[in-house]
Order: sequence, then structure tokens, then C-alpha cells
Amino acid sequence: MNDPAPTYDHAPWVAQYGDRIPRDLAAREHLHLPAMLAQAARTHGPRIAFTTCMPNGMHGSLTYAQVDAQADAFAAYLREVVGLAPGARVALQTPNGLAYPVVAFGVLKAGCVLVNTNPLYTPAEMEHQFRDSGAEVLVVVDLFADKLEGLLERTGIRQVVVCEVPQFFSTVPRAVIRGVMRYWNRALPPIRVPHVRLAQALAQGAEAARRGTVDPASYLRDVGPSTLALLQYTGGTTGVSKGAMLTHGNLLANLQQAFSMGASHIEPGREVVLTALPLYHIFAFTFNLLCFYAVGARNVLVPSPRPIQNLQRAFDNYPITWVSGVNTLFNALLNEEWFTAFPPAHLKAAVAGGAALQAAVAQRWERVTGTRIAEGYGLTESSPVVCFNPIGGERRDESIGIPVPGTEVRLVDDAGAPVPLGAPGELVVRGPQVMQGYWNRPDETAKTVRDGWLHTGDVAVMDAQGWFRIVDRKKDMILVSGFNVYPNEVEDTIARLDAVLEVAVIGVPDSKTGEAVRAYVVRQDDRLTEDEVRAHCRRFLTDYKLPRAVEFRTELPKTPIGKILRKDLRAEYLKTRGAPTAA
Amino acid sequence: MLTDLETRLLGVMMMAIMLGMGASLTFKDFRIAFRKPQGILVGLVCQYGIMPFLGYLLAVLLGLPPALAIGLILMGCMPGGTTSNIFTYFSKGALALSIMMTICSTLVAVVMVPLLLEFYSQLRGLPQEYTVPAGNVAQVLVVLIVPTVIGMLLRKWNPNVGATIELVGGLLGIVVILFLVLTWVPRNHALLATTPFSVYFASIGLGLVGMLLGFALSRLLRQDPRRSRTIALETGIQNGPLAVLIVLLTFQGDMQQQVLLIPVLYSLFIVLTSSAVTVWFRGITTREELARDRAKVPTGAAAQGA
Repeated sequence: MNDPAPTYDHAPWVAQYGDRIPRDLAAREHLHLPAMLAQAARTHGPRIAFTTCMPNGMHGSLTYAQVDAQADAFAAYLREVVGLAPGARVALQTPNGLAYPVVAFGVLKAGCVLVNTNPLYTPAEMEHQFRDSGAEVLVVVDLFADKLEGLLERTGIRQVVVCEVPQFFSTVPRAVIRGVMRYWNRALPPIRVPHVRLAQALAQGAEAARRGTVDPASYLRDVGPSTLALLQYTGGTTGVSKGAMLTHGNLLANLQQAFSMGASHIEPGREVVLTALPLYHIFAFTFNLLCFYAVGARNVLVPSPRPIQNLQRAFDNYPITWVSGVNTLFNALLNEEWFTAFPPAHLKAAVAGGAALQAAVAQRWERVTGTRIAEGYGLTESSPVVCFNPIGGERRDESIGIPVPGTEVRLVDDAGAPVPLGAPGELVVRGPQVMQGYWNRPDETAKTVRDGWLHTGDVAVMDAQGWFRIVDRKKDMILVSGFNVYPNEVEDTIARLDAVLEVAVIGVPDSKTGEAVRAYVVRQDDRLTEDEVRAHCRRFLTDYKLPRAVEFRTELPKTPIGKILRKDLRAEYLKTRGAPTAA
Repeated sequence: MLTDLETRLLGVMMMAIMLGMGASLTFKDFRIAFRKPQGILVGLVCQYGIMPFLGYLLAVLLGLPPALAIGLILMGCMPGGTTSNIFTYFSKGALALSIMMTICSTLVAVVMVPLLLEFYSQLRGLPQEYTVPAGNVAQVLVVLIVPTVIGMLLRKWNPNVGATIELVGGLLGIVVILFLVLTWVPRNHALLATTPFSVYFASIGLGLVGMLLGFALSRLLRQDPRRSRTIALETGIQNGPLAVLIVLLTFQGDMQQQVLLIPVLYSLFIVLTSSAVTVWFRGITTREELARDRAKVPTGAAAQGA
């Protein structure tokens, strides 16, 4: 057979770009993120940039000019009051709220590095991340600040700043929300570690800036495209959590790449985007926060999308034009009468990422809202967007779309050689959005990024037109008597049973076949039996793909955005069934 | 009984509470209620079909004397009370549907109540002349509709104001319910001590069995569980004060006191039973919400209906 490398290097997907998507990435517009932020604030000053919408409809907003001024104050606080050096790490641990953009932008404007931290982390996870990143300042939401007790001493954090969900709300709504949190939900714990409130920090920063000795431009003197902007921790689905180093250049390139796929549906200054996904996750960070800030959109922030009714007021009160989500979020919306009876009238597009979008969800969404969900694909390590379905273009169910401009993609075998067209291979990607590496982990970096190619660990196939489809995680592949079994295929088969709510499939050691397929099922109908699941599988799958065992569960372990953690199931199995004989 | 001042105070409180209830609603909520108008019709059937018959049946089965029987049948013929909306709100039911049902059953009351009373009284050989004060029925409607609409407009104008009013209205609702529950027994212990068991049974049973039958009929007529629970509360909770008023206008002297007994007892116990049922329903609704949050999008035939 001929060398298949040209298959990928000819980039057949470029033919799908049409005239709406540029073939190449335009020259970089800004040197660093603060330049982009400043320009957005100049262009859209009096427009509302962010609105936090609580489940009961209470809300608070900041305009572009206000966000910019507050972020400047926070930058001055970090550099002048705390005395951080350029490149110092600042951890931010909060659900969506107005504090998020102010702090995140402030950190970037100070020439420091943002460390996104999941507020639901356990103290042990927090400690690992704070120590690993070397964070010196932590901005934490009051709801979880009690977790810091006894933990701070073991980290390099020297200043704790406490923010709150109704940050920047006017007095009465703020008092009502905090009153309910404190006395009804009992969600405001006493904070026993030394700290300063965000409002005080901002006042101190603004005061320092007023004294006139401060030159904010100097904070950015040495900041350029290759300067580190964000440490985004990842590894939730693979192993120990490590920080992907994303630079200003990475993020600026990726927001341009993501934008190019949807530009035809974006009117600067007129969009209203619903942000129900957490901003501390890379998808919402780049897509909702950066991309839509750059075009002057109004960002409606929802602190928690669970239960899904929490989104009802946001849809009632704001003319939402864009929404980003994951499969579970769209699924949940489609189960709500208030949503399906009166779908958002101004909606132009929805985008999905994070986990595979089910065809049933995509089709029903289109029927209900009249708009499509465009599925994308990406990784923390690639800022995150690699592939996307062009908004308003052709729809391919279960395809992750085509590579975004300026991105090279190949599918390769274990030796790193490109596989023939149509054959499954590991997706590798090279482009301006690929991270510099893992923070303080050169060995891990060397394994993941080789010759500039980021090895995603995802197995995919490409068709002749350049559309990609994810087959599975490489690590999750099960080897049964020498045959490859992709858990996704078995999961999809089992999920077709109406009595099945969720399913996860893993490989476990087996003395006869090397590995065996094992399924974990959450039932929708408790009458479903193991035999029925097996009988169903036998109709669609060959023998070696059949699950050897089916275990019923009430829930499955998941990441914060709802990706099922097969590795946790595997670890649990190995722990309870004795050590594996072979890895 | 409540003093005149307390009654007036309660009236004002009710308006404040309904302002809060209104502030929890949007016009969309009413459009959703009207999307399945059968719900309102089912409610009317429960209200004027099941309840009067249930009142009559209990009176016969328990062999109540004429004066008490009149009180019980009268209670069964009443439209839904405003308190049903408050309980529906706390049980996370379909509030817009509940309010629509209260409005409709109250409107229909002017015609239906005298007709039904005449019919059932005839069956039991009871007096057949009743005065239904149209003015008071209109007042019920005003107290219900005006604050609700103002509340809705306020929340549309400013969601912060709306949410604050909703919270205040809800708190006030809890205060009023607690007040009624806590003060009734000490106030009326003499009455409670002398009342025979069959009267207790009738007063409590009318509300509870009404809710049960309302729920069963709604489910039978293919209303979803949440709507069915709303209709159940609406069916079981009658407008007690209106019944009291009709008795006062229709009967005099000793007879008046006897006829009043069941409406008064009913009004006491319905607050207790509804509170308990509300807590129970709220738990069910919360569980359903969580289940729906996780449920799969329906595939195949079920999805075509959407």
C-alpha cells in the first residue's frame, strides 16, 4: 500500500470550509490576552458583559467598562498590595459568577498565571493542585472556604481572597441570597483562615492604582504570545492531575479558531450566550468566556445548572442566542416541559463538547428548537478546540466535525505511522493551540507531545471528505483473545435498551482471554435483568465483544461535566477482586 | 372562629401572599397551563362532580343529622380556596394551573353552587333555599387575581424585585399557616371536645378523600403526575370562608350554629392535612425533578409526540 501520510497532510477537510471559514488562520491580532480584553472593553464599554442569573431570577450585572476597571483593580492588588512577581500563579476556585471574569482577567492583566481550580475538589485534591502549581494567591468562593483549614500551611499560598456567588449584586438581592444560603441552605461555613474579601481587595487595588505610582502597562512588559497564561489541570480521566501549560498565544489562537467555525452566526455586540458549564473548565473558559467577550456578547452566568430548573429563569429573562453544553445538559433541558413548550425564540446555535453527543439528543434538539447542536472535539492540552462541526453547515450525526483552521490532524498507529483512510488510529494534532507541555513534568510532556504532535489518546476514523468520528479512548480499548473491543460500541449497544439509563464498559483481567468485557448499568426500569442485557447484546455484537459480566449500579462515577470515569470502575474492580496478574 | 379584625388581617395577608405567588409566575407558565386545558376541565369535574357527591355520600354513610348534613354537603359544593394555591406553591406543583382552576371554579360557583345544593338537598329532603352572595364571590376573585397579576408584572419588570416579593410572600404564607395551625386548637378546645367522632370523620375525610379521588381521576384522564397532584390539592381544598358566609346569610339562630360546625372544623383540619400532604408532594416532586434531570431523551415513538 502507498504511504498514507499524504491522506492527512493534504487536509481533505479544507474542502469543507466553503467560503465562510478561512483556510488559514489570520495573522495574530493581539500580542496577549490583556490586549484583547482591553480592546473589547474599549469597543463595547457600556454594554453588559456579564450577568449572573440565580435560580429564582435574582441577578447582577457588570458592563464591559466595569469588568475592565475591576480587573485592573485586581491586577493592581496582586502586584502592588500582595507584591506578586510576573508569572506568579493565582488559583481561582469558584462556580460561575461575576467574580470569575474580574479575577481571571485581573490575573492575566497582572502578568500572572491563572490556575483554574474545581470548587468541588476535596481538600486532598486542592492540596495537590496548590502545591504542584506553586500558587501564591487563592481566590476561593465562601461556600467552600472551610476546606482550607489545616491545608494552607502545606502550600505556598500566602494570601486568601474570598469571593461570593452574588458578588457585585445590588444590596437587597445580595442580602436575600446570602440570607437564604446562610439560614436556609446552611451553605455559608465560618471561615477560620486569614483572608480578605474580594471587595476589600479590589478597594485596596484601586487605592494603590490611584496613588499614581502604578504603571499597569509595566505588568505586561515581558508578556508575549509564548508567555504562560493558564495552568489548566487535567488527568481526571487518565491518572494523576497535571497542569497543562497554555500560553497567551495558545488561547488567542484557539479563540480565533473556534470563532471561525461559527463566525457566520455571530454579530458583534448582539449575542447573548448562556454559560451553564463551569468556567473553570477549559471548554467554557475559551469558548464562552474568551470567545464571546472578544465579540462584545452578553454572558449569562449560571452558578449551578443542577437541577436543570436552575436554567429556567435565565431562558425566561434573557434573549439567549447561543448556548454551550454537554450531552447531559441538552438531554436534561429536553426533558423539561417549560423548555420544550417554549424553546428559546432567539437561539441561533448550540455547541456541544466535553463528551460524545448522542444522536437522539441532537435530533430532538433540532426538532424542538429549530437550531442544531454543533459538536466539537478538543482537549485541555489543545486549549481545547481541535475539531468542530461548522455552524450552519452540513450535519453529520456522531461526527466531531472537521479540524479548525491552522490545525494539522493525523491518525496514527502505535509506531506513530499514519493509518490508511477509514482505518482507526490515534488522533494526533499539531497547531498553535497545542500546549507547551505539562507543568514541571518533562517526562509526561515528552510522552504526550512528540515533534510538536499532541497525542490525544483518542482513537478516531476519518472519511474521504475529512470528517472525523471518535471511536474510543486508546487506553480503554479491551483486548479479548487478541481482538480489539471498543467499549463505546458495547456501551452504545446496551444504551439502546430503553430500560437502561446509563452504561459504562471496561476491560478486566481474565485468565483465559487476557481481558474480558465488563458492563456497569444504571437501570431506568428496575425489572431489567442481566440475561436481558446479554441477550440484547448477542443480537448486535459478535461473541468476543459480549459482556462477560453485567453489574447493576445506582450511579456511575463521573467528572464534574458528566464524563463517565471508566478508570475509577477499573481501579475499583482491581482493588476488590485482587491484584491484576497483568496490566 | 376568628375575630373580625383577624379576618381582615388575614385578608390583607392573603393578598400579600398572592402577590408573592404571582411574582413566582411568568405569563409563559399560564400558557403552559393552557397548553393542556383538559387539566382545568378535569379540575372542574373533580370540584363539582366528586366533591359534592362525596359530601353527600359521607353524610348518608355516617347518618349525620340534617343540620350537619347541610354543612357537609355545602362544604363539598364550594369552589377551590386560595389556600390551595399556597399549598401548591410549597409542594412545587403547577401553580399556574392551580390558580386557573381556582379562578374557573370560583366563576362557575355562582351558578353551580345553588344548583348542586338544590339537587343534593332534595335527595336528603333538606331545605332548598340558599343565598350565594355574588358580591363575595367577586371579592374572592379580586383578592386572587389582582395581586397575582401585579406580582407577575413586578417580576417581569425587575426579576430582583420579583424574587424578593416571592420570598416575602412565601415566608408570610408559612407564618399564616403556622398561625392557623397553632392557634386553632387552644382557641376551640371546647368545641373540639364536644364534637362526636362521626363529625370529625366527615370534616377530615372530605378533604383527604377528595384529594385522593381528585388524584385518581386526574391520573385516569392522563394528566401527568405533577398536574395530578396539583388537581388533588385543588380538589381537596375548598373555600371554607365562603361556606361560612353562605351559612351566616342563609340560616339563623341555633340552626346556624349547628350548620356551621362542619365548615368550621373542615377549615381547621384542611390546613393540617394539606400541610402534611404538601410536604409529602414536595418530596415526590423533588425526586421526579432529579430523575428527569438524569433521564434519557425518549427515543422512537414516544419522542414523536413532542
